[in-house]
Amino acid sequence: MPLSFVRNFAAFGWLMLAAAIAPAVMAQERPLTPEQQQKQRAANAECFSCHSAEGLKAPPKEGLDLRKLRGLLQHPETFYQSDHQKLLCTKCHNEGYDEHPHAADARESTSTCTDCHSKKATLIEAQFEKSVHAELADKITCPTCHNPHLMRIADKQSDPARIVAQDNRVCLGCHDSDEQFAKFAPEKKTRPPIDDIHAWLPNTRLHWKAVRCVECHTPEVAAGEMLSHQILAKDKAEKDCLTCHSASSALKTRLYRHLVKEEQQRLGFANSVILATSYVPGATRHPLLDTLVLGAFAAMLLGLLAHGLGRFLTRGRRSKEAQQHDADDGKNGEHHG
Amino acid sequence: MAEREYLVALWIRIWHWTNAALIVTLGVTGLSVHFADPALPLVNFALAVRIHNTAGVLLIGAYLFFVIANIVTGNWWQFVPKPPGILQRIIKQAMWYGIGVFRGEPHPHEPSKEEHFNALQAVTYWSVMYLLLPVILVSGLIYLYPEFAPDTLFGFDGLLPVALTHYLAAVALLLFLLSHIYLGTTGKTVGQMFKMMITGWHEH
Repeated sequence: MPLSFVRNFAAFGWLMLAAAIAPAVMAQERPLTPEQQQKQRAANAECFSCHSAEGLKAPPKEGLDLRKLRGLLQHPETFYQSDHQKLLCTKCHNEGYDEHPHAADARESTSTCTDCHSKKATLIEAQFEKSVHAELADKITCPTCHNPHLMRIADKQSDPARIVAQDNRVCLGCHDSDEQFAKFAPEKKTRPPIDDIHAWLPNTRLHWKAVRCVECHTPEVAAGEMLSHQILAKDKAEKDCLTCHSASSALKTRLYRHLVKEEQQRLGFANSVILATSYVPGATRHPLLDTLVLGAFAAMLLGLLAHGLGRFLTRGRRSKEAQQHDADDGKNGEHHG
Repeated sequence: MAEREYLVALWIRIWHWTNAALIVTLGVTGLSVHFADPALPLVNFALAVRIHNTAGVLLIGAYLFFVIANIVTGNWWQFVPKPPGILQRIIKQAMWYGIGVFRGEPHPHEPSKEEHFNALQAVTYWSVMYLLLPVILVSGLIYLYPEFAPDTLFGFDGLLPVALTHYLAAVALLLFLLSHIYLGTTGKTVGQMFKMMITGWHEH
């Protein structure tokens, strides 16, 4: 019996077991035991032995179509940090992938997102139908934006900068590339230069490093709800700076929604959880300091007003003194003259 | 003594009012951005940011002009309080603002070609122009190019100390501005000193 068959059989057995326990594991977000993880990684290593940069460099088998393989590479380290990190490759790439060469129709039988995420998909589909992307429904599917080998859901990440980088890469991947844009856009539609259409937004590129496109390009949802998949076109997108740049910043219910429970008003700053990564004028203020500043302005104005009033009330004395002074000057002038 | 004396050169007056207009613009837009709140009808946020950034760069230009022109013309000497008795003259001037002005006592210092400023003015103007304003301009410049600020500092965004320095120094400058405008009315008549800053002529 060839060794690879035994391995594949073992992997298949493990797959069946994993499929049976996966929902329970996912529901409880329980990490894999070291033993389970070792088995899963050993099974996936079979796939990565070809489908990785290392595999391409030193193919484990002769006669592989390396040009084709180049387009089918994955990054194991990234995969093991993604949402699907606990899964076997064969969870989705199932029928026809047990042997190599893979079956000709293997790709067609690859699982889709809705096979596992059916409940979420129903909700998302309703939002997507109202999205600016709805007319491209035949070209845009979940993995167009959500690469299942890479993505990590925001509430599992603690660094907002990484969430932003991950999510904006998705949008800008098409909207900042003529080549990618043309793959999905309707014919004759040319890509509007992304900087030009955001010219109204001060520090545009800085914003894209600090917040996600979807902060403005999705409708508001309740704090506990999933961010909407209804991507808004520019006429409906958020354009009011104060939505984020104010003490009651919407960033608390958007990018920082998962961190906001850690808010501790550190050193007296409002929205200190946002301040940990971004100084947001208008939002990350120090209420006590601002009160002292306003108090200083008030004290200065009152002081000057009182001084002015004092001068006004003593103006009679002043003009008398001035006349006297002028008269003295006059006398002195005569004297010196 | 002549009735009137030409004291303030044209370049100083042009610079002074340019500087004043820019600082008022920066103050209004800066406060609009800092105290941004949907309930407060201040300058529109995006517009305020743009105006503030543009006026800020212009202020840097105006400041460089001020420093260079001061060196070239020798006017910088006016900002240096001259001994002896600097402290006594500062106290005397402050006492006049606090008490003497109400009693109708004459100004303790009469502006002249050699000495435009009284000792208190010289010390204050020197501090504002050569200490406070550079702090505001440099912090503002880093604020404009935040990639030069540290990434993080003590668990906060590294821009925080820059932003706080900019904010508090600007508040100090605006407090100075209020007192400067008010004290401008303490000449022989309320308008005397304003007139001098427009025409250049000091009326004795």
